[in-house]
Amino acid sequence: MKAFLPTLFVLVTFSDQASAYLDPGTGSMILQGIIAAIAVAGFTLKNYWYRILAFFGKEAPKSLLDDDENAQKPE
Amino acid sequence: MKPLSSSFRDPSGFVFSHAGSVYRQVNHCFSSTYEAFIGSGLYEKLIDRSLLVPHEEVAGIDVGTTTDCYKILKPRQIPFISYPYEWSFSQLKDAAMLTLRIQLEAIQHGFILKDASAFNIQFIDSRPVFIDTLSFERYEPGSPWVAYKQFCQHFLAPLALMSFTAVELSKLMVTHIDGVPLPLASKLLPFRTHFIYSIATHIHLHSRMQKRHADGAENDNSRKATNATLSQKGLLLLVESLASAVQKLNWKMPESEWGNYYANTNYSDHGGNEKRELVDHLLGSIPESLSTIQDFGANTGEFSRIAAKHCELVVSQDIDPVAVELNYRATHITGPTNILPLVQDLSSPSPAIGWGNAERESFSQRSTCNALLVLALIHHLAISNNVPLPNIAKFLCGISRWLIIEFVPKSDSQVARLLATREDIFIDYTQQCFEQTFSEYFSIETSKTIPDTERTLYLMKSLACAAVG
Repeated sequence: MKAFLPTLFVLVTFSDQASAYLDPGTGSMILQGIIAAIAVAGFTLKNYWYRILAFFGKEAPKSLLDDDENAQKPE
Repeated sequence: MKPLSSSFRDPSGFVFSHAGSVYRQVNHCFSSTYEAFIGSGLYEKLIDRSLLVPHEEVAGIDVGTTTDCYKILKPRQIPFISYPYEWSFSQLKDAAMLTLRIQLEAIQHGFILKDASAFNIQFIDSRPVFIDTLSFERYEPGSPWVAYKQFCQHFLAPLALMSFTAVELSKLMVTHIDGVPLPLASKLLPFRTHFIYSIATHIHLHSRMQKRHADGAENDNSRKATNATLSQKGLLLLVESLASAVQKLNWKMPESEWGNYYANTNYSDHGGNEKRELVDHLLGSIPESLSTIQDFGANTGEFSRIAAKHCELVVSQDIDPVAVELNYRATHITGPTNILPLVQDLSSPSPAIGWGNAERESFSQRSTCNALLVLALIHHLAISNNVPLPNIAKFLCGISRWLIIEFVPKSDSQVARLLATREDIFIDYTQQCFEQTFSEYFSIETSKTIPDTERTLYLMKSLACAAVG
């Protein structure tokens, strides 16, 4: 498993975005990478923690977006 | 065929109206993506979960389409178009969560939202639904989300401002059609939001990153950024992070002038009940079927709920965000759901904004309806807002054929309160004058005094000038 994404960026063009008409914003794209990198690192650590919890019979919390019951309820 | 003035930015297609219905044209350049979207099962999944507006493909209709037309879609028609700056806090929050749910579902099917505009959402049966069927682009793992900035501007920033600073700041979206700029949001949010991770990253840091890289093309970093990579896991976690940020935003409703309205009216129990029955009876007596009823100054929607029995949709508008919020929540708890609560200041309703002042329609352009309730409101327009009765009558006549209006005289304690601290210059504000003035625009069909009050309810029918909704 990848432990950590570096915050330096790899040159990969994003193709087939012929109708992605928005200007994504340079700063926004860089920031996404940073936030995602931190989140992936955090996720990895959390996963290890949930494995420990599972060993003791505790369940990991569900994602806010996963649950179909949440799909159309007012927040 | 008349393209909608709001539908021009996306080369994939556009929305147009024809013979009273709204259609969407899919252009050839988007044909393979569209078919992949349908074929992948994503469309079906979104329809099953009631997240996306369903459509049917229509063939053989002569609408005078352009040469790049690949297919014509007829989506389920939206009964009333509303805009994010008219929504209460929870309406905008629900719209934000809907966008993120759709994004998550899309990624899992190999697609991604190419935009995240709040204008992609409309309300049907008091629930948000995504209406932009062509917003789904094929997802290339590794590519960043081009609509991330737009999501922050359209959803996260206004919600944060409504939650932490002032709920009225949703109106910033009137002057900023592409959402609240992040540097502005960052400046307006209280300092303590720097210590909330989600706001600190998605808004404050985001604003700084934008400013730092503003002179894009010259910069080495910008070239790197346009080719930036984001793993699928990273993207999913980013979406979850936004969901968590939105979910945690709550609006603590203040004690408002209007929030406790019904506890502070001057109706006796008997008077209140009689008024409800009278309104119900008057609506029932209208000799035509009603598709849309508007309720102006609806407060928490007590009379909208009565009107909802008589039509397909009640648009329930009030100036107070607290009242509208309570109204919206009630539609989910007790129903009925055929009510659309909106925040609207009748003395200065939503203008037409955007390119050519035509991208998003004004309140007046969207307001025609079959019947209109103007209850316990006229004194606020005529006295608090100094609008002469003829101007009010003309305005209302242009909106609806049928009008149920309550005249509140100066002898009423609520009007006495309004006049307590100001000079009474309203010589023409009398019942007789009211009837005379309105008779120039309407024919008065029925009038009934509300028991235990000085107020009179009228059922009026407009004379020739109303557009039928």
